Amino acid sequence: MPDTLPLSIQLSWLIPLYGFSGMLLSLPWATGWVKRNGPRPAAYLNLLVTLLAVLHGSLVLRDVLALGPQHLDIAWFAAADLDLRIGFDLSLTNLAALELVTFMSLVGQVFALGYLDKEWSLARFYALVGFFEGAMAGVVLSSNLFMSYFLLEMLTLSTYLLVGFWYAQPLVVTAARDAFLTKRVGDVLLLMGVVTLSAWAGSLEFNDLYAWSASETLPALGATLLGLGLIAGPMGKCAQFPMHLWLDEAMEGPNPASILRNSVVVTCGAVVLLKLMPLLRISPVAIDVLLAVGTISAVGGALVAIAQVDLKRACSYSTTSYLGLVFVAIALQQPFIALLLLFSHALAKAVLFMSVGSVIATTNCQDLTELGGLGSRMPATTSGFLVGAAGLTGLLPLGCFWSFGLMVEGLSSRAPFFAAVVLLTNGLTALNLTRVYRQVFLGSPQPKTRRTPEVNWLMALPMVTVSVLVLVTPLAMARIDRVPGIGAFSSVTALALVGSGLAGLLAGSLVPLDTFWSRSVLRPLRLLQDLLAFDFYTDRIYRATIVAFVAGLARITNGFDQLVVNGLVNRIADVSMASAQSLKLGVSGRMQTYVFTVVAAIVVLIGSLSWLGG
Amino acid sequence: MRPIPRSPKPPLTFSGGLPSSNDLVETLLAGRTLLAESPDHLSQVVDVLESYGEVLDAYSINLIYQAEKQFLNPFPVFRFLDGDHSPAKIWRHLLHDRINFEYAEYCQKAMLWHGTGGLDAYLDSEAFAANCAAIVAHKTRRDPLLAALNPLFPQFLSELIRSAATTHALGQFWRVMSDLFLDLARAERDGRVDSIAAVVTFIKEGLVAAAGGPITYAVEIAGTRCWVLPPEAGLTFLMDVAVPYVEAVFLRGTPFLGTVSFNAQAQQISPDQAQFMYGALYADPLPTMGSGIPPSLLMQDMYRHLPDRLHQSYLAGIRGAGDVRVKICMTFQKAMFCVTNAAIAGTFPHPLDSDIPAQQAANRAYAAAWAARLCVARTDCLDDPG
Amino acid sequence: MLSALLLIPFAGALGLLCWPGELATERIRRAALGLLVLQLLWSLRVLLAFDPGQSGLQLQESFAWVDSIGLDYRLGVDGLAMPLVLVNAALTLVSAICTRDLSQRPRLYFALLLGISGAVNGAFLSENLLLFFLFYELELIPLWLLISIWGGANRGYAATKFLIFTAISGFLILGAFLGLALVTGQADFGIHPVTTAQLSMGPQLVLLGALLIGFAIKIPLVPFHTWLPDAHTEASTPVSVLLAGVLLKLGTYGLLRFCLGMFPEAWALLAPWLAGWAAVSVLYGSLAAIAQRDMKRMVAFSSVGHMGYILLAAAAATPVSLLGAVFQMVSHGLISALLFLLVGVVYRKTRTRDLEVLRGLLNPERGLPFTGTLMILGVMASAGMPGMAGFISEFLVFRGSLAAFPVATLLCMVGSGLTAVYFLLLVNRAFFGRLAVTPPSGDAVADSRLEVRLPAVALRETLPALALASGVVGLGVLPWGLGKLSEQATTAMAQLPALVAAIQGGGLLS
Repeated sequence: MPDTLPLSIQLSWLIPLYGFSGMLLSLPWATGWVKRNGPRPAAYLNLLVTLLAVLHGSLVLRDVLALGPQHLDIAWFAAADLDLRIGFDLSLTNLAALELVTFMSLVGQVFALGYLDKEWSLARFYALVGFFEGAMAGVVLSSNLFMSYFLLEMLTLSTYLLVGFWYAQPLVVTAARDAFLTKRVGDVLLLMGVVTLSAWAGSLEFNDLYAWSASETLPALGATLLGLGLIAGPMGKCAQFPMHLWLDEAMEGPNPASILRNSVVVTCGAVVLLKLMPLLRISPVAIDVLLAVGTISAVGGALVAIAQVDLKRACSYSTTSYLGLVFVAIALQQPFIALLLLFSHALAKAVLFMSVGSVIATTNCQDLTELGGLGSRMPATTSGFLVGAAGLTGLLPLGCFWSFGLMVEGLSSRAPFFAAVVLLTNGLTALNLTRVYRQVFLGSPQPKTRRTPEVNWLMALPMVTVSVLVLVTPLAMARIDRVPGIGAFSSVTALALVGSGLAGLLAGSLVPLDTFWSRSVLRPLRLLQDLLAFDFYTDRIYRATIVAFVAGLARITNGFDQLVVNGLVNRIADVSMASAQSLKLGVSGRMQTYVFTVVAAIVVLIGSLSWLGG
Repeated sequence: MRPIPRSPKPPLTFSGGLPSSNDLVETLLAGRTLLAESPDHLSQVVDVLESYGEVLDAYSINLIYQAEKQFLNPFPVFRFLDGDHSPAKIWRHLLHDRINFEYAEYCQKAMLWHGTGGLDAYLDSEAFAANCAAIVAHKTRRDPLLAALNPLFPQFLSELIRSAATTHALGQFWRVMSDLFLDLARAERDGRVDSIAAVVTFIKEGLVAAAGGPITYAVEIAGTRCWVLPPEAGLTFLMDVAVPYVEAVFLRGTPFLGTVSFNAQAQQISPDQAQFMYGALYADPLPTMGSGIPPSLLMQDMYRHLPDRLHQSYLAGIRGAGDVRVKICMTFQKAMFCVTNAAIAGTFPHPLDSDIPAQQAANRAYAAAWAARLCVARTDCLDDPG
Repeated sequence: MLSALLLIPFAGALGLLCWPGELATERIRRAALGLLVLQLLWSLRVLLAFDPGQSGLQLQESFAWVDSIGLDYRLGVDGLAMPLVLVNAALTLVSAICTRDLSQRPRLYFALLLGISGAVNGAFLSENLLLFFLFYELELIPLWLLISIWGGANRGYAATKFLIFTAISGFLILGAFLGLALVTGQADFGIHPVTTAQLSMGPQLVLLGALLIGFAIKIPLVPFHTWLPDAHTEASTPVSVLLAGVLLKLGTYGLLRFCLGMFPEAWALLAPWLAGWAAVSVLYGSLAAIAQRDMKRMVAFSSVGHMGYILLAAAAATPVSLLGAVFQMVSHGLISALLFLLVGVVYRKTRTRDLEVLRGLLNPERGLPFTGTLMILGVMASAGMPGMAGFISEFLVFRGSLAAFPVATLLCMVGSGLTAVYFLLLVNRAFFGRLAVTPPSGDAVADSRLEVRLPAVALRETLPALALASGVVGLGVLPWGLGKLSEQATTAMAQLPALVAAIQGGGLLS
């Protein structure tokens, strides 16, 4: 790295450290050293360092725009043929993702100050968010797979701790555990991939890996397993079928963390997959799996979302759904569309979740059946939801409209099936968001929504800010994507898109609301409803298969250990000890026996050796 | 490192007994106190109420300040400063070296949300709607943002005014309670109050004396004084604010994120707010200061104003200073049973010594209604000497 | 210089035992702590004098002791022994610090502690097989006494089991050493690689097998592990810390130094089987840990699992995997010591370790929040979370072994995933939820009314754990120090088979 580079770029290794330092700065309050004063300074300090991260990121972005992409590389650990490095890839896309991550972290933290205003463990929350942010900032900038894996695992850990934030709440206990373990499955598979690549390819720098994968021909089985291992990590992180369970359970965590999780954490997972994309060419099977998983997630997630009665879950399943579309785009080697979709999804989903958070804070309720009539009283919340919903669906010319347009246009000739999947997902999402909007914001006030003043400014301000951002997303997208331009799709595509959105909107507005939550009397319909409402019974399937398998194996092992291994030892001991029972002279007696044995052994030893020497 | 004699160790867990509903009815009708009579109880209750009184004083001042001076302010950044914008005070607030006014807001929100009693009924009345219309007209004249939002979200401003009205009313209520609790501490020091029964009587008399006090609220907008809760509404201290407050904060409360799942599919929260049992008389004190337990804020505030006598008595416990705030919460719960006791005693429909069977029956029905709710509360603390 | 590492603890132990007159417990404790601090400082001095750039033994000291039988007093240190000497010094100090409520015979207790530490140092530093064996045996008796005098209710059974198993281990090792001398006719008992020119493969395999089983008992590897959970459950916390953190490392040290180091060719022959054995051990230990209710047994079984990684790394015998083995020895020493310390705190405060009983210990005022926080850190480190010592160790082991034994390595990685399962069960059951230290009554309302009064955890009780936790994080974030220290030694060891093959028949090694 030449010294002539601007200071901001030379110091860009600091960017992930801002978040981590926020965690360290929170410790005096989080650990209870500060006893008399409250925990808020920890929050202010975290806001400050996050602001620094945002500013530093923008400076780097400015310099990179002027100078072109840069690379920063620091040695971390080297031994024999292994060289593990810390590497930052300061490209425009990475920096855009960084700005998204740090900025969302900033607004999320401001929102949390309002949402968690009566929370005494605020310092612990901010410490965890700082950790979270540091790891995410590192993941998006990372230029090598080792560092990406390192930080993805840290994200898993911090997700566990954030979901487990309210550790005394009974459902949190299981939710945090499941969140960790589901992601951990993906992570272990990814680790297998990383270790394999490290052993086979040597370097773990993405660029070296691309070159290696282009030049090397691998055995088919090895390549397939490697490909599957590599996609497993992002699959877990992006809550894709069948590893999506954790996102549902993670909704037990605090809402500000849900905002980050549903917008930027999943984005981080997808960014890693994007970086892996050129590598996946080694394994056609992995690509097919990616397509299948993405399609099932997109359509399944959208369907499951429709059947939810819980406000948070109705929105979180659509995250699974949208990331499924991103997976499809990546599998079809369309990185740019994937990026645009991620970007527009992240902003719109964030504002949607902020709105959801303020509904929960005001009504103490997230049961859709008990909500209603908030629309005329909560301007920021209502408009936040509307803007978020509009940004997510391809109907009004906001973010997802353009991304979907490009995607449908690109796919309709090559892979019309996936173009249809996009349209279907769009329609189903529009349907879901419309019915949620009707249920929550329209209609007459319910007992729990009778007195609902708008939320405090610390929640309203970030909500309005991000709403405005969602409204101007197309402009930003147009700046990023100058060629061929975000509007590079035909009017037929646009019509199809608007048609699917409109169909969803109409269906959502016309269907009687109670069909979504009262179980139908028609048996097949009821079965379908339950199937979707309980998320295809994924948790039960897991419990009946993997969990039961591991638990059974554990019981068998333990039984074997107790009965066979230990039992055998005890049996031998019983037999041999029976004669020695008379020698049982208590502690000192046995010691003498033992010392005698040792002495005898040494005598034998000396004897044999002098014989040998003689 | 002396050899420790292997003596029986003290038990690690305790569980108190629960009085039955019938026992409670008899206790109430006989005029006995719910909380067991003991010198420890007396000093603990009086002291904890004294610290509570000091905290309520700050809460009350701030709520009234917010309702009057931060009325419809979209960015009430300095709403906890009570109008004192000196750098020293701002610095103290940045260090969070302050009372946790968020807890007062939490109680206010709970009261508004549960919406019971006379104040809530008035907030839905035509008269109140007219007051709101006048205030909105004044306000939108100078504020283009509000003027633009008002037609789009017609209920937006009146809902905020309802919230402000509850804020002010709660401030007025706590003003009275704060004075009462501080008086009680003085009376105990003077020897005028020397038993739990006397504490209950003292609070009852204080409540009865304040019962008819009017609750009014007016705001000043650009020099014009507008009534929100005018005297004509006839809102009074006891029935229109105190009783809804007890209902919303002592009994119902709101589910704590730290102990109850909001997941709709798990159905842990009743759809009927009247069935809620999350209030001060029901809450589990053990998780105090844990995450998702809002009363932790109040315990911290009381901890900062703890009378020395009570603090010393806490230090004798097995954890010493380590669990003071849980102990405060336990004592506070006992004190709140005394206050509830006083409130019940003060609101019997007829004198307890009445000979008329119809009146006795009415009293018994009233006591039974309370006993039914109290017998599932944390009454196990009542006989525990602490 | 190295002799001082033996002299300090041994002389200290003798001094404590023979000191005339009464000594107050606190004074004995202070004296022992003083000696252990001195030992730690001296170990650090040795570290400073140690040159990591060389691969062979350094700072050698020797004199002929019992020359007629080849028992020379020869000490030396290399990159394999150096970190273990440091871990020994640190963990003995930690276990002395966390010794509390000694019910009886404090003098003997601290003398034994010092004796163990000295013997372990001796074993790590010995350059003579018989000297190693002497120290290896010397450490057994004090440990056996520590378990059988200061242990739990069932200590007699556990101590006897420990004694029998490790005595067999000792005999096997001694038998192998003697047998080697017998069949090669070299009675100097130095540590040299054996070539097929000296000894045909058959006898080599027999000797190696005896050594392997001897050390497998000590490590312990499945199926010779069954003494370990019992010993841990009955031992007091400081003894568990020592046992898991230091004494098990004698086994893995022996595996590297004597099995791999002396029989490189036979080792290469057995390696695929050893890798399979490692995978079985890892999976067996992890699965058995999942089924445990006793926190201490769970941690003990996790040791069985995690020691398997070292066998895997040794089997692969690549520079990276052997470095990983050293890392794993150090990090397992720190992490398991940390976990046993914390379980000890929980047990002392709640009087139980039963996971069906303990709940909600994270409660900030009445529970054990700081202990819980460190416990989360410890189990995450053990589960191989990046940023902590366990991750880099496992990564090196897996990375180094994958090319040689892909299937066994992948199975061991599954074991690493299972670690997360049981430790998450531990944390979520014991530390999450509403505080309780009695079995659930089945009535949620009654449970929520139960008041719990646990004694407070003093800061001095958690300071040793905090120090270990910092070590775990420190090693995880900045691993290059340990890497530098051991790289030359492990690389040299990995090249042994090739070296031996190259000079085959030359008879240069003698």
